[in-house]
Amino acid sequence: MPATGDYAIRADHLTCDFGPVRALDALSLEVPTGIVFGFLGPNGAGKTTAIRAFLGLIDPSGGRADVLGLDTRRDATTIRTRCGALLEHPGLYERLTATANLDFYGRAWHLPRGVRQDRIRELLTRFGLWERRDEPVGRWSRGMKQKLAVARAVLHRPALVFLDEPTSGLDPVATVGLREDLAALAAQEGVTVFLTTHNLNEAERLCAQVGVIRGGKLLAVGSPESLRGRRDSGRVTITSRSLTDDHLTALRSRSDVESASADNGRLSLALRHGASVAPIIAWLVQHDVEIEEVVKSRATLEDAFLDLMGAESTVSPADGAHQ
Amino acid sequence: MIADIWTVTWKEWQEFRDQLLSLRRGGLSALILALILGVIAPVQIGPEWVHSKIVVAYWPFLAATMVSSLIADSVAGERERHTLETLLASRLSDSAILIGKIVAAVLYGLGFAVANLLIGLIAVNVAFHESAPILFAPRQFIVTILLTILASLFMAGVGVFISLRASTVKQAQQAFGIAIIVLTMGPLLLFNALAPETREDLARRVAGVGEARIEAYTLAFLLTLSVIVIGAALARFRRGKLALD
Repeated sequence: MPATGDYAIRADHLTCDFGPVRALDALSLEVPTGIVFGFLGPNGAGKTTAIRAFLGLIDPSGGRADVLGLDTRRDATTIRTRCGALLEHPGLYERLTATANLDFYGRAWHLPRGVRQDRIRELLTRFGLWERRDEPVGRWSRGMKQKLAVARAVLHRPALVFLDEPTSGLDPVATVGLREDLAALAAQEGVTVFLTTHNLNEAERLCAQVGVIRGGKLLAVGSPESLRGRRDSGRVTITSRSLTDDHLTALRSRSDVESASADNGRLSLALRHGASVAPIIAWLVQHDVEIEEVVKSRATLEDAFLDLMGAESTVSPADGAHQ
Repeated sequence: MIADIWTVTWKEWQEFRDQLLSLRRGGLSALILALILGVIAPVQIGPEWVHSKIVVAYWPFLAATMVSSLIADSVAGERERHTLETLLASRLSDSAILIGKIVAAVLYGLGFAVANLLIGLIAVNVAFHESAPILFAPRQFIVTILLTILASLFMAGVGVFISLRASTVKQAQQAFGIAIIVLTMGPLLLFNALAPETREDLARRVAGVGEARIEAYTLAFLLTLSVIVIGAALARFRRGKLALD
């Protein structure tokens, strides 16, 4: 079993109740150090509550969590000292300039003046904001504000950064820009990034591991690939000009085929779980079907996610927490 | 701790400064106030403006009023502008955040009073040129400054306490307005509710105490009230609750 130091976050049956509402329901999770971890879930799933609990901003009702090896109840201030955060809102002082915003948080983290100035210049330059450093950020676009908020979160070189839906509300161009910046940042700074999002494309591109949460319960955790594998679609598209209705009827009656449809010489098959496409190809060839192309479609993270959302009511938290 | 308090104070001042430098956002009001209180009033009243005992109560009251105009924004404003949670997620302690905001407001009130006192002094000396410069009596000046600090501190404490509870700046301002009316009118109404002979007796007793003692008692009273109200605000500062608000 890996040592505590190998994990940036370890939650053990972490539960948070707000009155009658259970925002986190026995969340057990381990986030290895040095990776970008994506926490996926629909609105109100408990993603933001998890971040608040990890930062020691709220006391859990049950269970416990260790962040960077520190207990969130006992060592909340030390955890906040060693972490950076971009929460639900950018949290920038809009009347202040970009430099003043960063300078304030640099002072709060006791960065010496020279170090602070160098770091501010480095980050503003990296995010393409240096030229506009002396403007009040209230005049900036949302994308620029988000970049500045990310810069603020990593200003003091934290060991762990929480980013709560960093690309939420951005246009596609700004989203791609910020996503590229985040990927570069994570690679260059070597920090652990805990990223919540409901943008599955983003999670797939950025994250080494993802967790899926709904209704405060962790449904699944693993690499995007392993989650896709859980929900391997088993979808196969076969292109053929000699396919007849009889072939289609015969295919539909096979035990390894869940569904079959044909459109303009393209046969779409959904295979049953664990079924292989090879016997079907062999059968088609035996029945004089000339095959031009066979494409096995890969399940996307979105397929896996939607599958988990749909199956949520049938998955127990204990089942869901395992890969 | 001191460094953290100063960091929060620095940030608050950056925001005040921006407001003051912008004519549209408050700089013009500040200029008009400085013109009326620091130039017109002293020139109209003359050297008496410097020597009058009323100054001892007048400037602390004005400074506290100035503090009241911005302190309601302190926590409620951060909440409304969505900067509070990020601040709470920083390494700054509860007390550093709260005291930093109070210190900034007190410095604002004090700065306002001192600046107007100095401008007024210059205006009086220019308008009523005498062989020797017209100056404040040192003791009276020190008492005025001490009272200004404590009145601002008390007002800032009340303001932060109210601002912690209010969900919007408007709500904080409304609650603060009511608190100011109660705090200023309350003692007067109580005094008027007393029987005439009791009032006369009380006035006689106060007059008999002597000027220096009245000043000392007032300073001690304001200090005690400030400590109580700031202590209550600190006790009310719940990071988790504020983060959820």
